[in-house]
Amino acid sequence: MRPLTSSLIACVLLSIAAMFSPAATADGEIDFSLTDQHGKDFHLRDLRGKVVLVFFGYTRCPDVCPIELQHMATALRNLADEARHARGLFITLDPENDRPEILAQYLNYFGAGLVGLTGDRQQLDAVARLFRVSYKKNLLSQNRYTLDHSANLYVVDRDGRLDAIVPFGFPAAHIETLLRGMIAADE
Amino acid sequence: MHIRSSFFVLLLLCIAAVHAQEQVPLAPGYGELGYELPAVGSYQLPPLGRAADGKVVDSTGKPRRLHELFGDGYVLLAFIYSTCSDVNGCPLTSHVFYQIKAAMQRDPEIARQLKLISLSFDPAVDTPEVMALYGNNFRYAGNQGEWQFLTTASERELEPILDAYSQDIQRIYTADGRYSGAYSHLLRVFLIDPEKQIRNIYSVAFLHQDLILNDFKTLLRESRGDTLEVAASQPANLLLGPGDDKSGYESEDYVTRSRALGLRRGKAADLLAFVENPPLGLPPVPGAAQIDHAKVQLGRKLFFDRRLSLNDTFSCAMCHVPDQGFTSNELAMAVGIEGRSVRRNSPTLYNIAYAGLLFHDGREDSLEQQIWGPLLARNEMGNPSVGYVLNKIRAIDDYDGLFEAAFDGRGVTMETLGSALASYQRVLVSADSAFDRWYYGNEPDALTASARRGFELFTGKAGCAACHLVGEDSALFMDNRLHNTGLGYRESMGIRPEKQLVQVAPGVVLEVDREIIERVGEPAPADVGLYEVTQNPHDRWKYKTPGLRNVALTAPYMHNGSIGTLEGVIEFYAAGGVPNEGLSPLIRPLDLDARDKQDLAEFLQSLTGSNVDALVADAFAAPIGDIKKGDPSWVHGSEVEVQ
Repeated sequence: MRPLTSSLIACVLLSIAAMFSPAATADGEIDFSLTDQHGKDFHLRDLRGKVVLVFFGYTRCPDVCPIELQHMATALRNLADEARHARGLFITLDPENDRPEILAQYLNYFGAGLVGLTGDRQQLDAVARLFRVSYKKNLLSQNRYTLDHSANLYVVDRDGRLDAIVPFGFPAAHIETLLRGMIAADE
Repeated sequence: MHIRSSFFVLLLLCIAAVHAQEQVPLAPGYGELGYELPAVGSYQLPPLGRAADGKVVDSTGKPRRLHELFGDGYVLLAFIYSTCSDVNGCPLTSHVFYQIKAAMQRDPEIARQLKLISLSFDPAVDTPEVMALYGNNFRYAGNQGEWQFLTTASERELEPILDAYSQDIQRIYTADGRYSGAYSHLLRVFLIDPEKQIRNIYSVAFLHQDLILNDFKTLLRESRGDTLEVAASQPANLLLGPGDDKSGYESEDYVTRSRALGLRRGKAADLLAFVENPPLGLPPVPGAAQIDHAKVQLGRKLFFDRRLSLNDTFSCAMCHVPDQGFTSNELAMAVGIEGRSVRRNSPTLYNIAYAGLLFHDGREDSLEQQIWGPLLARNEMGNPSVGYVLNKIRAIDDYDGLFEAAFDGRGVTMETLGSALASYQRVLVSADSAFDRWYYGNEPDALTASARRGFELFTGKAGCAACHLVGEDSALFMDNRLHNTGLGYRESMGIRPEKQLVQVAPGVVLEVDREIIERVGEPAPADVGLYEVTQNPHDRWKYKTPGLRNVALTAPYMHNGSIGTLEGVIEFYAAGGVPNEGLSPLIRPLDLDARDKQDLAEFLQSLTGSNVDALVADAFAAPIGDIKKGDPSWVHGSEVEVQ
């Protein structure tokens, strides 16, 4: 990608950010807008009616993210017919590296219709704050780094409210049970 | 599905490999336990301190106390914060707790007895609402077992809890001085028992569901007083005999049979009842009228108090070991503080109330006075003076008022201390043995034919009863006199075989030259028995006749513990002792065949009292006096010394 093009994209992203700032309404409904792995705009409110799993991470994450994403994907796949009532989101905390096409390639490994989301640093920080997610970049050398980040799985219910937190590492079956329960409860 | 997941693992490995240098190895808690756990109940988890209380807030926002939430069961307590990003930190705790929660769905006993508590140390972020979100994720996960997510109202209320659990937590700041939202902390998970005692603390390397559940089940079993599974192959009574039973040690097949001390839990007995109504075969207990509950309890406390020795390490019970016949089965001659050698065998305290003479040389005649022997002996409890002992006990606060209550307002004196210790020792009466039931209880079948023949020999041809007296209504098997059997003479004269068999391992016996043993071994102590007391040459090598009740429990035998088995003792007497100028005329070679000897041994085996289990269990229930903060001690520097 040429520098000019990427600056252009950055500009566009910034303007989008200005338009949709993440927020929770008085009755707890959450919304935010980011860019998905196909470069398209994403608004959480478009997923009302679905139970949404939200996980924060970065594609170069060596351990936590692939483990949790696999649990997420397995749970969603095992929902089978009910899968249409749920969606999994992977929000990067490393927007400098995790451009949409990188996210697309990465999420392809996991399947299950996972949505990858990126944006600029400011946008992502705001979304992280909304979920009280914290992260910290550790620079190991010029091009090597790790990112410590909260590893919880956040569950947003069909009305868009943060409804549960699944601590890291719980098996897919647990996530599936929770999803089925929440889907059934809302019907 | 299977192919797909293997593909996945492969893929993840590839991803991981690319970033291998950055990857943090996952803690053992995420995988299979890499080692075999010891059997449930085969080990102990001594209390590590009290699990502190504190003000917390539950996930509904209600103020609670930690202890209130602990309830009456076992608790697993972890400190977490919800934005934790260290994979081997809080997420590990959650992962392991999840596995335990899953185990609760399968095993209702775990669900009933164990509670999981995650307490946040980040009250600013982890509000009750956030903690409720955690709780929410279990809504559909099975209703067995409780996992509470707690937080505190403020850092001020959190701080004393963190201090009490030694949770050192530091905020991590970024290079530009801003708080990063992360904390640096050491992962610690606490296993707490119903008495609010911490029984184990798990760090990253040890936090694993299998280990935790093993520990939990071990504690449960201990609380029920269950015995070990291996106990089936052991004597039924777990309390009797040394914790490390060496019987059969001479055989190559010997396997260690160590028994866990923690499982050998005692039970207090009504000790006074034994002196008020002595068991069948015993006469009334001398001085019984002066014994009462308060004195016995005080004497029992003193008997097991290590602070009665100069360096706070050595109690009476360490030579008179209750589960080893109130003597020491492991030592021929006693060993005092700092490993100092004592030159005689610890006598049993069973039926010591009836002994008219005390010490092997009979130099004391009352327990009240006798106790000063071991208290002051340099090589036993090592105290420098009577005053030192009395002052020290006066300065130990857990004795405050106890002497006054037991002795009509009198405090710690030579007399009251002696009386208290004597009172406890006097209740250790034991009889109603198989022999007693046969001989005094008119139960013809109580004794085996062999033991009955043994009794005939004992009172007849073998002449044992000339000194080990058997009365019409009762028997003490002693005569309160001292005799020369030649054993002391032999030791003093150094009459020993040129070579001696020395066992170095089970079934491995070496024949060692006497010369070598003498070069490396402790020299035999000089000991001339009663002569040391009277200075009368006729009293050389005379030692007291011991009672024989419970003799099967009180090996090794003789004043110097030089004979390890009853068979050995019978051989010694059958041979007529060791001839010497002062040999008692009662000791002469006996014409006993192998069967006679066996019958005598069988008879001696039948003298074990019916209450030994109760007495030993009571001893196990006694408090052990150990040095604590504020006690006088040469370590702390004390006023006692200055005086």
